Formats: sequence, C-alpha cells, structure tokens
Amino acid sequence: MELVSEEFLKDAVELLVRLVESAGALVIFVGAAIAFVRFLDAAVRHRHQPHRFVAVRLGLGRYLALGLEFQLASDVLRTAVAPTLREIGELAAVAAIRTALNYFLGKEIKEEQEQLADERRSSTARSVSPP
Amino acid sequence: MTGLIAAAALLVTVVAFVSAAAALVATRRTAVALPVLLDLLLAAGLLRLALQPSPTQLAGTALLVLVKRLASSGIRHAAGARSTRPSPLRP
Repeated sequence: MELVSEEFLKDAVELLVRLVESAGALVIFVGAAIAFVRFLDAAVRHRHQPHRFVAVRLGLGRYLALGLEFQLASDVLRTAVAPTLREIGELAAVAAIRTALNYFLGKEIKEEQEQLADERRSSTARSVSPP
Repeated sequence: MTGLIAAAALLVTVVAFVSAAAALVATRRTAVALPVLLDLLLAAGLLRLALQPSPTQLAGTALLVLVKRLASSGIRHAAGARSTRPSPLRP
C-alpha cells in the first residue's frame, strides 16, 4: 500500500527546495543591503578609520556564509528526488563547489577577524603610549 | 522568481561599484576599496547561484573567490612589507 504518492513527494520536495533557496537568496540580499548602508556610513562619517570598512566586510561575510549554508541545504534536499545517476553527479559537483566556497569564506572571515584585532591592538597601543 | 533574483543580483552589482567608489573617495586607499568591491561582487555571484546554477556560473563564482583571495593576500603582503620597511627619515 502506498501512503504518499511519488508525484506528491516530488512536488513537496521541489517546494521545499524553492523555499530554502529563496531564504538563502534573501539572507544574501539583506546582508548586502545592510553592508551597503554601513559602507556609506563609514565613508561619510568615519572616513579616517579604514578598520570600519573591515568590520562591515566581516558582517557581510557572515551573511554570505549563512546564505551559502541555505543553498547547500537546498542541494541536500534535491538529492532526495534526483532519480538519475547523472543528476546526482551534477548535484554533487554543485554541492562540492558550494562547500569549497563556504570553506574559503570561513577562512577569510577568520583572517579578517585577526587583522581587525591586530589593527585595534596597535591603535590602542598608539593612543596609550606617551608622545 | 528567477527574474527577481537576477534583478537583485544586478542591484547588488551596482551597489558593489558605488560602495567601492565611496570607500576609495573616503580613504583614498585601493587596499580598502578593492576588498569592498570584491565582497559585494561575491554577494551578487552567490545570489545568481541561488536558482539552478549552470556550470559556467559556478565556475565564475569560484574564480571570483580565487581572485578575492589572491587580492587580499597581495594587499596583506604589501601592507606587511610597508610596515616592516625602515623609514628613511629615522636612523
């Protein structure tokens, strides 16, 4: 006896995939919009503090990594209804590239955080040291 | 949906150039403006990947990440070289 028809399952997974992908795109777009406003703010009000731009870029990087996670989740969902070996192979390639993108993005966020911490330490040392 | 995401990606691309120009004008340093441009272009690339990306689009975004890493390591290397170079005014 069949509890759920294959067609229904395919439609449901397709809908879920679209929802998750849209959520990922929304996260990336919102992150870019917030970063744009903060970049303009840094350019207008804090023009002599370049580390402000690094801080904004760190925030944007976190949004991008989150959006990529959503995209990866949709890839995983798609494998639930990928019937042919070729389709599964294509999905694997897409997922591998997205995973690599996510890995490099995470690495870059870590490096930027260290750079920002170094800049903050050196600016604190400059302000504390006697003239 | 595809049209909406394509429009959003185009908008983010425009935002990337505007933000980089603002950063360049404000700080007069390409080392600050270039990463801003590349980060927002990456955001646009990731938006384009949101719906059934073609292998070319995927390769393009991967290439952008590679360029971004190369540029940031180059900028960091140049900044490190500048900070370790002795000042000609000091003995």
